[in-house]
Amino acid sequence: MAAPSAAGLGRRLRAWLPRIMPVRWSRYNPSYLEPEVKKESHQKPLEELTEEEREQMELKAVRPIKAAPPSLSSSVFSDPMISKFTNMMMKSGNKVLARSLMSQTLEAIKRKQLEKYHKAPENEKETIECNPYVIFHQALKNCQPIIGLSNITRGGKTYQVPVPLTDNRKRFLAMKWLITECRENKHRRTLMPEKLSQELLLAFNNEGPVIKRKHILHKMAEANRAYAHFRWW
Amino acid sequence: MAAPAYPAWVTRWVSGQWRNKKRPPTLRPPRALALADKVANRREQSTEATCITEMSVMMACWKQNDFNDAPCAEEIRMFYDCVAKAEKERKNQNEDTLSSRGNLPSSKVNKLLKRFPQITRYV
Repeated sequence: MAAPSAAGLGRRLRAWLPRIMPVRWSRYNPSYLEPEVKKESHQKPLEELTEEEREQMELKAVRPIKAAPPSLSSSVFSDPMISKFTNMMMKSGNKVLARSLMSQTLEAIKRKQLEKYHKAPENEKETIECNPYVIFHQALKNCQPIIGLSNITRGGKTYQVPVPLTDNRKRFLAMKWLITECRENKHRRTLMPEKLSQELLLAFNNEGPVIKRKHILHKMAEANRAYAHFRWW
Repeated sequence: MAAPAYPAWVTRWVSGQWRNKKRPPTLRPPRALALADKVANRREQSTEATCITEMSVMMACWKQNDFNDAPCAEEIRMFYDCVAKAEKERKNQNEDTLSSRGNLPSSKVNKLLKRFPQITRYV
């Protein structure tokens, strides 16, 4: 008699309490709009706006706006790819360490390139790239695979089928390969900025183990091109 | 004289019932002779893979150039264009219209039929 009433009471109370468990998706009402962080879009005079931008401004006057996350910055020095790479390097939430490693890596790249620049003869000085951001982006672009493999099961057997990849997936794979290469296949006592700068410079010149890994993936895809018809998308 | 009492089969035979219409029904349908509001579930035929020609052209170029990306830039660009087009096509494809083969999947057909059911009785 007491047991069923206690259970019913507990269920009713649980149904009444708002959920306080952390969840992975967004808990904002769908009417909330994304914040606009770029300074240039706010400094534009009213006449230069197109029709849809005017509508967007009017919408922003009546709708609530989400809070800007701390990783979103309006600074000229912030780069979304570098932020993504830093997050992937981060371990146990230690963003301070990951960010310092990233800045040390960029500094190491700059130092190495400057050394090469000052040692090079006059006619070759223009060809040497000293901007570490340019080197980072070009190295990532060179590491991105063009085609991937996915497991598709037909008739009980699993085949590796060549499959086109989305942009996000390519970027993720390039970054992941760079980081795992630096973490696993290097000498234990070398520091991460040194390893990473070396890998990034090699990838910038289309050499090195990460580019080799990309070529191996391409070769496997080419070997399995007969199974390409197993895809249905 | 009183009406003679004949056996039932005689009167029935004489009246011509058996010849004309009052026979037991020759067709005894197990279900109602009306269209059902459902279609049988059919396995949806899968669509073909897209961009296979571009991919094979790109792979041939790779084989010739030892898997370098610089000489194959044109083929790679064409492959990316094809992939983007196929992706957009898939996004825009409205499932309520006919698919590329001209068939509607059975679930959609059932939904439509439920909206317009067979009228079995008139009021």
